Amino acid sequence: MTELPLSGIRVCDLTWVIAGPTATRILADFGAEVIRVEHGQAADPIRFGRPIAGERPTLNNSGFFNYFNRNKKSVLLNVRHPMGMEVLQRLIRVSDVVIENFSSGVLESWGLDYAAQRAINAGVIYCSISGFGHTGRDRHYTTWGPTAQALSGLTLMSGLPGKPPAGWGYSYLDHTAGYYAAIAIMMALHHRNMTGEGQAIDIAQVETGMVLAGPAVLDFTVNGRSWLREGMPPGNRAWEPSMAPHNTYRCAGEDRWVAIAVRNDAEWEALRRAMGEPAWAADARFATAAGRLAHQDELDRGIGAWTQERDAYQVMATLQAAGVPAGVCQTAGDRVERDPQLRARGWWTTMPHPELGEAGIDGVAPRLSKTPGMNRTASPLMGEHTYEVMTSTLGMSTEEYEELAALGVFM
Amino acid sequence: MSGPLAGLRVVERCGALGQYAGKLLADMGADVVKVEPPGGSEARAIGPFVDDVPGPNRSLNFWYFNTNKRSVVLDLAEPDGAATWRELAAAADVVIEDGRPGELDRLGAGYRAVAPQAPGLIWCAMTPFGQDGPWAEYEATDMVLLALGGAMMMNGYDPEDAEEAPPIRGHGDQGYLTACHYAVQGILAALLWRDRTGEGQFIDCSAHEAISSTTEVALPYWFTQRVNVIRQTGRHAAATRTERWLYRAGDGRWVLVFGVGRDNASWKRIKEWFQSEGFGLQFDEPRFDDPLNRQAARGSPEAAEIFAELGRFIAAHTAEEVYRGGQERRQAWGIVRSPEEALFDPHWDDRGFWAEVEGEGREGRPVRMPGAPYRFGATPWELRRPAPKLGEHTGEVLAEWLGRET
Repeated sequence: MTELPLSGIRVCDLTWVIAGPTATRILADFGAEVIRVEHGQAADPIRFGRPIAGERPTLNNSGFFNYFNRNKKSVLLNVRHPMGMEVLQRLIRVSDVVIENFSSGVLESWGLDYAAQRAINAGVIYCSISGFGHTGRDRHYTTWGPTAQALSGLTLMSGLPGKPPAGWGYSYLDHTAGYYAAIAIMMALHHRNMTGEGQAIDIAQVETGMVLAGPAVLDFTVNGRSWLREGMPPGNRAWEPSMAPHNTYRCAGEDRWVAIAVRNDAEWEALRRAMGEPAWAADARFATAAGRLAHQDELDRGIGAWTQERDAYQVMATLQAAGVPAGVCQTAGDRVERDPQLRARGWWTTMPHPELGEAGIDGVAPRLSKTPGMNRTASPLMGEHTYEVMTSTLGMSTEEYEELAALGVFM
Repeated sequence: MSGPLAGLRVVERCGALGQYAGKLLADMGADVVKVEPPGGSEARAIGPFVDDVPGPNRSLNFWYFNTNKRSVVLDLAEPDGAATWRELAAAADVVIEDGRPGELDRLGAGYRAVAPQAPGLIWCAMTPFGQDGPWAEYEATDMVLLALGGAMMMNGYDPEDAEEAPPIRGHGDQGYLTACHYAVQGILAALLWRDRTGEGQFIDCSAHEAISSTTEVALPYWFTQRVNVIRQTGRHAAATRTERWLYRAGDGRWVLVFGVGRDNASWKRIKEWFQSEGFGLQFDEPRFDDPLNRQAARGSPEAAEIFAELGRFIAAHTAEEVYRGGQERRQAWGIVRSPEEALFDPHWDDRGFWAEVEGEGREGRPVRMPGAPYRFGATPWELRRPAPKLGEHTGEVLAEWLGRET
């Protein structure tokens, strides 16, 4: 197999749901051997998560699970059995990284806090993702992605003025907490390469959202200005940097929209010409940025009247040819079936999966010229690699494996 | 103490798209030199500004996204400037730039001009759409990228909340930040490869691809069922309409409440809470005992009663009471806060989350801003210096890195 940047790195993956598996997806894409430790009595709920292939969940037919768990291995291990816990310790001993996203305190209750892990494996890198972190008075509180988005301010920063918050429409912070975990683990691996020293990393999902709103916090601490004020959030109009027009506009067809942003006078001029120089747009009030910002309602009405008769992709092509930033609001279907950029760059592929068939999957961003991350296998079936990992990675004899299996350790 | 990237030399030539990638490395100990044109990075012109007065050193956007960096001014359009840039890049371990495809090559300052002198160099080129392909030259802003990447089509309103509402973009340049998360992943993977082999490489980081990988359930639905998910107010886009998550508390603030009645254990805790205050007294009737009766999606009268009572209960409490009362009963509920409201939640003080900075217009009067997204036990995040003033370190860096007389 091609050598990848993280080849030779073994990850003991105790994660579930989305945030943790996002982190280990990245490590696996770049070549780490990621071993998902799964427990039949407390299966990852995403193994039942819709969308599924067929009518009923089988643990192995979730497209949702497949998306977040490609390139990984799965072992079944009953950590409630004392021998199961002992096997887990053997796995930690031979791993470079241990990662989990339980509520804070769970690994401690298993007797596997960082001190205990380090006693087993001196150089281990232990990464925990929880809602509020392992310290602080509310550390026992819990989150889903949307909870963290709400508490960090991101939900409030999304929506039309005078309406309820729109939120994000998905668990943005499950992705992002996973990104920070992958980043932190790779930084810690580099530090270990330099010094031999491992360490513990504590990630609070809410904090991974708070760092994404830095300028808004500074606007308060410096200028005393809050997002809780009239006219905020400003919908799809620009906050900072300020510019106008800047909005989404309805196009021909069912629920079709194009985003158009005009950053300066030259782009306004280009937009005006691309629209065929309509009379309304010749108004001198629109010639300057200040004038455009002051008259956004009229601008948006005029542009919307032009776009609503037109195909969204044609509007985008026309405006981009004129040098104006414009983009179709694309669905997932658009991205997979229609987006010429993603297609030209070979972004989509399929991997065979016993229950999902040729399962569609995206590529690996970013693209490394010599050692690109790559898709090697679809997500593992529940416990698919138990025997392999126990015998080759942990060096068990077949007899020992069968003895433990008979005791109910691998279930 | 020093971070896990101590000793790593990074040259960054980035505006709004790529500047956060440099910050993530700088905050963890890398020596990041920001190379700016004579007029300054475009991010210095992004508001809000200190006291709303623009100026190259007064952008709060720049303050936040450029901590721990040093600023060097070079005019790459001039031969001397391009030559100095090449020397700096060759002396670095990592280059991050967000110029258009070919832009630096045309100035004799691209990867091809530097790589032969620096076989270990990791060069990360961040662009809206990647180095090649039919959209490589397309113009983009953060909103345009979130539109094309699919994030916006998942985010918006139920018709009863906002009729004919468009897809909604969340603010804060989240598309750019997502691109930076991926750029840093790539840089670190390349660094781990270099740790083993000494070999550098080029990284092509497309914001469009990064965002397209950050849309959770949307792609699985398309791949598995050829279904596009639909937008819903303040909750997940899904194949069908789902129950509401947002409720208005008695103080007018929004709370995020979900999962009520899902399992018997949590239902018991919530029921006892409600009943202790005189709400939901009918919940003791046996018809509420079956979890299936309590599921909104099944349209049972019990579910409708539960949601009506939930709304009354929430309206009779402040958002803070609902949030904390729910969390104490192991419900992952939240309150929809403005970003700065976390400043007044002591949990984050307990964790030492906030960083304090000074800058032009606030000399000697430090202000708070967000600190680290992660706690490293051995090599912590550290604010060593605030964002640099324009060109503040030109002489210092050229002397230190290139041995030039100042």
